[in-house]
Amino acid sequence: MSKSLMGKYLFVLMLALFLVLAACGGDDEEGAEDPEEGSEGTEETEEQEEEEEEEEEAVDPEDQVYDVDDFPLVTSNDGEPIDGGHLNFGLVSDTVFEGTLNYNFYSGNPDAQILQFLDEPLLRMDPDHNYNNEGAATFEADEEEGSITFTIRDDVNWHDGESLTAEDWVYAYEVIGHPEYTGVRYGTVGFTLIEGMQEYHEGEADSISGIEIHDEKSFTINYERLTPSLLSGGIWTYALPKHIFEDIPVAEMEESEYVRENPIGIGPFKVESIVPGESVEYTKNEDYWEGEPNVDGVTLRVINPNVVAQELSTGGVDIVNSFPADQIAENLDMQNVEWLGDIEGSYTYIGFKLGDWDAENGEVNYQGDDMKMGDVELRRAMWYAVDNDRIGENFYNGLRWNATTLITPWHEVYHDESIETPTHDTEEANRILDEAGYEDVTGDGYRETPDGEELVINFASMSGGDSAEPIAQYYIQAWDEVGLNVELIDGRLLEFNQFYDRVGQTGEDDPEIDIYQGAWSVGSDVDPTGLYGRTQIFNFPRYASEENDRLLDEGVSEEAFDLEYRQEVYSEWQELMVEEIPVFPTLYRAALYPANERVTNYDISRYGTEWHEIGVTEEEPVVE
Amino acid sequence: MWKFIVRRLIITMPQLIVLSLVVFILASMMPGDALTGQIDPNISPEAIEQQRERLGLNNPWYIQYGDWVTGVAQGDFGQSYRFKMPVTDLMWDRMVNTFWLSLISVFFIYALGIPMGIISGRWNDKLIDQLITGYTYLGFATPLFIFALVTLWVFGFQFGWFPTGGSVASGLEPGSIEYILSKIHHLLLPGLSIALIGLVGTVQYLRSEIVDTKQKDFIITARAKGAPEQRIYNRHIFRNSVLPIAAFFGYEITMLITGSIFVEQIYSYPGMGALFIESILLRDYAVVTALVLLFGLAAILGALLSDIILSIVDPRIRIK
Repeated sequence: MSKSLMGKYLFVLMLALFLVLAACGGDDEEGAEDPEEGSEGTEETEEQEEEEEEEEEAVDPEDQVYDVDDFPLVTSNDGEPIDGGHLNFGLVSDTVFEGTLNYNFYSGNPDAQILQFLDEPLLRMDPDHNYNNEGAATFEADEEEGSITFTIRDDVNWHDGESLTAEDWVYAYEVIGHPEYTGVRYGTVGFTLIEGMQEYHEGEADSISGIEIHDEKSFTINYERLTPSLLSGGIWTYALPKHIFEDIPVAEMEESEYVRENPIGIGPFKVESIVPGESVEYTKNEDYWEGEPNVDGVTLRVINPNVVAQELSTGGVDIVNSFPADQIAENLDMQNVEWLGDIEGSYTYIGFKLGDWDAENGEVNYQGDDMKMGDVELRRAMWYAVDNDRIGENFYNGLRWNATTLITPWHEVYHDESIETPTHDTEEANRILDEAGYEDVTGDGYRETPDGEELVINFASMSGGDSAEPIAQYYIQAWDEVGLNVELIDGRLLEFNQFYDRVGQTGEDDPEIDIYQGAWSVGSDVDPTGLYGRTQIFNFPRYASEENDRLLDEGVSEEAFDLEYRQEVYSEWQELMVEEIPVFPTLYRAALYPANERVTNYDISRYGTEWHEIGVTEEEPVVE
Repeated sequence: MWKFIVRRLIITMPQLIVLSLVVFILASMMPGDALTGQIDPNISPEAIEQQRERLGLNNPWYIQYGDWVTGVAQGDFGQSYRFKMPVTDLMWDRMVNTFWLSLISVFFIYALGIPMGIISGRWNDKLIDQLITGYTYLGFATPLFIFALVTLWVFGFQFGWFPTGGSVASGLEPGSIEYILSKIHHLLLPGLSIALIGLVGTVQYLRSEIVDTKQKDFIITARAKGAPEQRIYNRHIFRNSVLPIAAFFGYEITMLITGSIFVEQIYSYPGMGALFIESILLRDYAVVTALVLLFGLAAILGALLSDIILSIVDPRIRIK
């Protein structure tokens, strides 16, 4: 090879490397932890991209469209669990876990994943999100008196062998309500509605007058009034072992060794050792009230989202807490893993800014018609203009799909399928806009407002994940097709923190933003007040109306204990939201969970996961 | 020389103060704070607001800075919001991890880089030199984070020779032999990844110095005197060529503390680099400011150390 030829080859090589570099440059800013988006924000590695290209010529699983109903809820392996098995659990996260290992103090999701093995709520939930009497404690509500009496089962013990008493449960209320409490759990109806809680919280009383302990195992809480919200997630169902914590001042509990190093609970597994931020080793709790667990131990490891697919295919982990949504399609053909799937309690939506936040009165300042997006016809046309099913199929292989109302099918009792919502229809969108007087007067291809003013709509959308940018661009294009000039605010996607700051999480809304794309995951209680109520700072569209107030109040009133009544109220509310369109939901989601083929009795259905029942049928994980 | 060191250290103080001020102001200008991630309808906004108030996040930055400086002066870097533990304890845990990782990478950089540089310089333009230089070009062009992912994929997953994340296997007794072996096992692959990319600079410097020195008059004189080739290389050329590497050594020491952001992220290795990036993303200001201050201090001391080493190994340089 002559020197000059060698030089040329070298040049080509350098050029190729340069291109690789340039292609990767954009991915660098990844990683903002986004509680709504789960662990979606992952970088695609070079290898994966290359693999994809090769596959395209063959079957192309990339383009296949799936349906969440095709996936089972429980692992199909029905073999007998072996004795002495060991389960490997992957906590998928690009950050380490914080290590606040007590339900009464934790705040981040990674910690909750660790806690689920070692502690558990005393009341269990039905799939329809109501407490039942099958857990470690039972309850009885007295609607006349406005009180609920709790009774703990006799065989429920802490990991150290001490019996779990009524006092332990009440102690959790006393700590969380304490003026010096450092966590974030106070403030929900489960606390504020208790008689005497306010005085106790402000330090005026030494005890909570509304709580009466009857004996070792039972007590009664008197509420100012009962609401259905209490019974679908409002009650605080985690106890705190008084015999361990009583000597520690409330302000220091969170830092104490019983939260950080030697956590304690009543769950099916005990913590054996912790490598801070990295892994937790559990052994089974033979004394667990529902019976001895099927596996001897569990190892939980933090797995970076970049490598979770490899960990699964090499058997490094058996199950994981979540799998990055944009890697699912290319991994569904993994040989040694069974995929389980269910609807997720979350939705993506487009929100319209209809006012701002009145910090003085602590409520939404709805300005309706004065805002750029104030015209409901404009909002409706924008809903008609977008094709969400196409987004779901193209970017998520059908594992996200067109959303209809603001109560997701996850709350199947309340989700009203019969409501007609705008679906993709460009002509209809054009017609609505024409009728409402949005016409292109200047001839630049974009519609002007009915007053003849230029209409530029500023759109805020969040970065994170490979699909964030193309999806935002798709929406802009779809609106462009009906003649609306929508621009990304600042010409780019916003990083998570900046996005919520400008959308208004502190109440200082950025007046530049007209519309935004956000996502919510919803709690067990269907009540949407926290997101759409008049006094809620998280009501980012800043929408309020008397009708809305009325329906939201009725949904949590005492009459709403009647299921039919409550269903009716929320149907009406969903209908109202479709008429008024302060936001419109775009996508519902499925959550998919991979499980190694040796795992048995793994049930991912709502509140159905029983860690003590999960077993493995082979000593070693199945590898691909 | 002592005068010089003392003078340099005195200049360091205002540098650090300016650095901390800049960092603090920039940090407070970043959108969001430690509580932004808590947007969750199950947590009441009042509870979050109370937390903000309690943590002083609602105060203007100069008051926050004042509080912070008062703390630092007493050796208290504040509390990490996210980990609910003192920043000093948190940094200490991570620093130990990073120290070992960096030590092993620096070891590999020199253990592999110096012989490669010598071979390449001694037999320059021979096939072996072309191979080594070719490798260094590739090394310059390959971003560390790609390389680390590839090594992880090949040696961690395909061959399964090395663990694929974390700093130690779970469930081992700290201090036991298994524990230490497991730690080393976890260190090898990330350490090698850093070293294989990091050594290219060393190799190139050394090579060009050797090629340069080979043609100097005193080498020709030595040859003319009939000194054996081995002696010429070991005594005359090597000692003269190693100067820039020695100068670089101080900066390598800096790396011992700051760690590698990419590699630590990819290998889920809980070190300083990973802590830094996480704290920025999650707006854990107390940790960010403390880390930047520490990194700044390490960089300044590293530069000082480089100067001192240089003056020791090279008698021609006299610090005045």
